[in-house]
Amino acid sequence: MKHAPIFLAVAALGTAVHAQPDSWSTYHGDYSGRRHSALTQVTTDNVHTLALAWAFQTNLTQQVKSTPILVDGIVYLTAPDNLWAIDARSGRQIWRYQHPPNDAFHIGHRGVAVHGSSVFLTTPDAHLLSFDRFSGKLNWNVEIADSARGFWSTNAPLVIREHVIVGVSGDFDNLPGTLRAFDPATGAAQWTFYSTPPAGTPDPLSGGATGGQMWMTGTYDAELNLLYVGTGNPTPVLNGASRPGDNKWTCSIVALDPDTGELEWGFQISPHDTHDWDASEVPVLVDAKFGGADRKLLLQASRNGYYVVLDRTTGENLLTTPFAALNWSLGVDAKGQPIPNPAKEPARDGRLVAPDEVGATNYRSPSFDPATGLLIVSAADAYGVYFFKPEHGEYGWAGADYGVHSRGELRALDYATGAVRWRHDLHGGAGAAGVLTTASGLTFTGDSANSALALRTADGTTLWHAGVGRVGNSPVTYELDGRQYVLIGGGSALYAFALPEPR
Amino acid sequence: MPMRPPLRRAALLAAALVCCEPLSAQPPRSEESPAARPVPTSTAAQDFAPEVIAAGRTRFVANCGFCHGPDATGGSGGTDLTRSELVATDTRGDRIAPLVRAGRAEAGMPAFPTLAETDLTAIVAFVHDQKSKAEAAVGGRRSVEVADVLTGDARAGRQYFESSCTSCHSVSGDLAGIASRVEGLALLRRMLYPTGTGGVAARRPTATVTMRDGTVVTGEVASRDEFTIAVIEADGRYRSWPTDRVSVAIDDPLQAHVEQLASYTDETMHDVLAYLHTLR
Repeated sequence: MKHAPIFLAVAALGTAVHAQPDSWSTYHGDYSGRRHSALTQVTTDNVHTLALAWAFQTNLTQQVKSTPILVDGIVYLTAPDNLWAIDARSGRQIWRYQHPPNDAFHIGHRGVAVHGSSVFLTTPDAHLLSFDRFSGKLNWNVEIADSARGFWSTNAPLVIREHVIVGVSGDFDNLPGTLRAFDPATGAAQWTFYSTPPAGTPDPLSGGATGGQMWMTGTYDAELNLLYVGTGNPTPVLNGASRPGDNKWTCSIVALDPDTGELEWGFQISPHDTHDWDASEVPVLVDAKFGGADRKLLLQASRNGYYVVLDRTTGENLLTTPFAALNWSLGVDAKGQPIPNPAKEPARDGRLVAPDEVGATNYRSPSFDPATGLLIVSAADAYGVYFFKPEHGEYGWAGADYGVHSRGELRALDYATGAVRWRHDLHGGAGAAGVLTTASGLTFTGDSANSALALRTADGTTLWHAGVGRVGNSPVTYELDGRQYVLIGGGSALYAFALPEPR
Repeated sequence: MPMRPPLRRAALLAAALVCCEPLSAQPPRSEESPAARPVPTSTAAQDFAPEVIAAGRTRFVANCGFCHGPDATGGSGGTDLTRSELVATDTRGDRIAPLVRAGRAEAGMPAFPTLAETDLTAIVAFVHDQKSKAEAAVGGRRSVEVADVLTGDARAGRQYFESSCTSCHSVSGDLAGIASRVEGLALLRRMLYPTGTGGVAARRPTATVTMRDGTVVTGEVASRDEFTIAVIEADGRYRSWPTDRVSVAIDDPLQAHVEQLASYTDETMHDVLAYLHTLR
């Protein structure tokens, strides 16, 4: 396959953190959310010899869902209530922190953030903890939000200069969408951004909705000094009647000033959502041609089945097009926003809706490959039935929905058109693995059955696989002692793969 | 003996009364969809100390609450346990505990093999307590009653059925009396995509595997992905092959249901359901 030079090498993003070959220092690897590595030791020609270097057993029941963070030869891995520091050469534990038992949801965890000699961890009971990253000694512990009210956190914090930015979750209660910044040295609170208003603060945009939680790690453009975060669904979740209008800023991409938390612009991808379709998926920052001009773009393959391209300076919509089965909209309006079909809102007798609650994609990271201009996304064609009747009330979920059928496929989207260039069957329902691409033309991910995969980025052909169990996280890669490692979760363990060492 | 709250005492009394009724008075039930039925009544009296129930709430919310809801009445993806037949027929964890230990991988439920015995006992206590409360309550946050889904036109549904479904199904054969066995939401879900227990497809595909020497093996697909095909032969023998060493032809009788999902309107879906409801 030829790669026409339509795509200028993605220009430096002007970001303070780049994907450094010897580290994976933040959730996305860098601020751009592209999850693309410049490493080239493992190639399309030698990847079939990739072999196990070490495995780290969490000895937990839970699947590894977090992105391992690697800095200076130490891997930081998390699970709810747990943080391990692991020697990146041997896979041996250096230290471990276990949070006291608490009754918040322990559904998953995304990872840590590192800043100087500190590592930051969010907890199920919605606290933010700072540790000395070499000794594991606790520096400070602050509350992000009140878990007794139904908040919890799975968030991998994002550090921008002297701000540790953290989000929370909270779909089972009517809670304001809350994103906060803390001082990395002291834990002192700096600012709070509300995507929906806290009780007692009227907001003409929300229509009475709460929710819009920002539970995923954002991306950042240092040149514009803008932080981009996807916001979650409104609450009550399935009862749209109690919250008329678009319910801004739920199911949106918001651009914030990281120094103040003030909103620069917002783009809502699911106006008046009634199907639990968070727009939390990674806002991927790419500098590339669009319509003949060099643009600063933001790409998102969203849970509601639409792929959107925005101008990330202004929030102007450039493209909105489906990338998976969907039947809930009447089309796209002049601003590029889908128009929800009222007949597909949850109803007493049930409505057959695509996608289902899990969505056309979910939080697992996509990856952008600059050489081919492909955004590679774990997608699903999925159907569910949605119910709501007034007896279900106006609190929390407020309705019922059931998945009917889902089929997962890795899809490579042309960034400029959204056209699907290739598909790779994941052999099951919606995938649980994210995606990593490398400059050597490789795509790492996992299928919905039992395997970690390496594919040729150009066409999706399988070049390597390992039956490590179901992959539940987004793979990362780094170089150590001149050797390239690929880290990928399988079941409740983390596996490090590398080329065999020369004898 | 710790004091019991009055609500629980009332629920226990109700449970005792129902136990004395003849079983034939109970409506037919199926495993598929708890939310489509009234709350089934516990078959055995449940008695747990309040502090065990309180401890169970903590462990339940942390481990189970996201999917099954913090109050066990259903959350993101998981079923309403207060309407579960399995919970209704559980006695002090004899049915719940093995399921929690083993998980239901096909339905996306993780296994909890290392959960402490005291934690599991407490979780069982909490679930039964929530169930007792649900038995005493009216309505339900996620309830879908049989009457709710019966909005279609059975005559139109029959026409649709006869033009689209009869190549595989027969109202005098496999679907005879279907609505006497399954109804409401359970029948709707089964009609859209039939699943058996634990979310597995009700009928597995069959595979015809041809080896390089020309040998052909046919069997029910046990598992199948990009790299391995496994079948169970008619005599129960399990066999598997690397997919690149054999050629595989799959016959999936449920594929027609998947294709139907993209063509149903809500109206035709409800019409067909209304027609199926007449098959008693």
